[in-house]
Amino acid sequence: MTDPTIAITVDHAACTDCRMCYVVCREIDLNAVYVAPDSRHRLEIDPGRCRYPGCTACLMYCPAPGSIVEVASGRSLVPPPPGVWAPERRIARGAA
Amino acid sequence: METVTQARGAALAADLRALAEADARLTPMDVLLESACREGLSDDRGFRLLGRLWTLKRAMYYVYGAWAMGLNVNEFPPSVAYLFGKQIYDDSTHEMQYVDEILRRGWAPTQRAAFAHPYCAFVPATRLAYFVFALRALTNYRQNIRIAAFNLGAKVIELAWLERFGRDLPDAGLRALFAGQVAETRSHVLMGRLIVERCVTSAVDEGLARLDQGVVRQNYLFALDEIAAATLGLAEAKGEVVVPKD
Repeated sequence: MTDPTIAITVDHAACTDCRMCYVVCREIDLNAVYVAPDSRHRLEIDPGRCRYPGCTACLMYCPAPGSIVEVASGRSLVPPPPGVWAPERRIARGAA
Repeated sequence: METVTQARGAALAADLRALAEADARLTPMDVLLESACREGLSDDRGFRLLGRLWTLKRAMYYVYGAWAMGLNVNEFPPSVAYLFGKQIYDDSTHEMQYVDEILRRGWAPTQRAAFAHPYCAFVPATRLAYFVFALRALTNYRQNIRIAAFNLGAKVIELAWLERFGRDLPDAGLRALFAGQVAETRSHVLMGRLIVERCVTSAVDEGLARLDQGVVRQNYLFALDEIAAATLGLAEAKGEVVVPKD
């Protein structure tokens, strides 16, 4: 059974568009981070694919404080707050 | 007051763009668009199309990487290098979008699976590859010549069919994808115009730009012909157009 997920989103006011979240999400084959198909081409997170809090890979590589937040609470996840990430939650490449 | 050399660049930029716009009025991609408007684009054809376009955009890393090594210190104003960096970033975005759509539609389960699929394979003995190899060969030219040939050649043609796909494709998702790439591709054309206007100042450079732009246009149209044929599943000339089947 899949663990329940919590919706997260990119705060574009803080995001630097470095795209590390996209690269990391691709590396573990979740493919939840995608380029929005409009002319601004900002990164978005597909709630249907994202596994947060089961996966926190993007949070670990995001360099811009406050740029990924929980939708409901608005809590900033960058840098990851204590307890958000644990080694056993790490998803190996190809295991998703 | 405009100098004689700037006038040369301005006239050249206008000439090159007009030549490419003439090519762009009807491209092999328009045959594909007409077919899609008439009978829709099946999943298989959609995968073929995005697979080939993704392959082309991926190959641009190979081209741009070589061109970047040919950017010499103080040869051109810093804006020329900045604009090149922006162009690389934009084409990278477009590459990402193509594989995003392939994954979102479930045509491939993972990026690695897409990478290994025949529709997405880079095959050396193809027109697409010939276009790419010939672009990479422009590494031996200065950046002003390369940008004249590519941004006022292939990019003008790309802009035209992107605009038509973004306006007329029946599939709303694909229409949005192509329409979203129009502004950045138009900016590449305008970068080309600016760089040619400012940085093509000698008769030798003008001659080289005209020569190379003609070759790039021709190669790009051949590559588009192959992409359209592969998408439609048409018979392909052996040894010239090789897109392996499932």
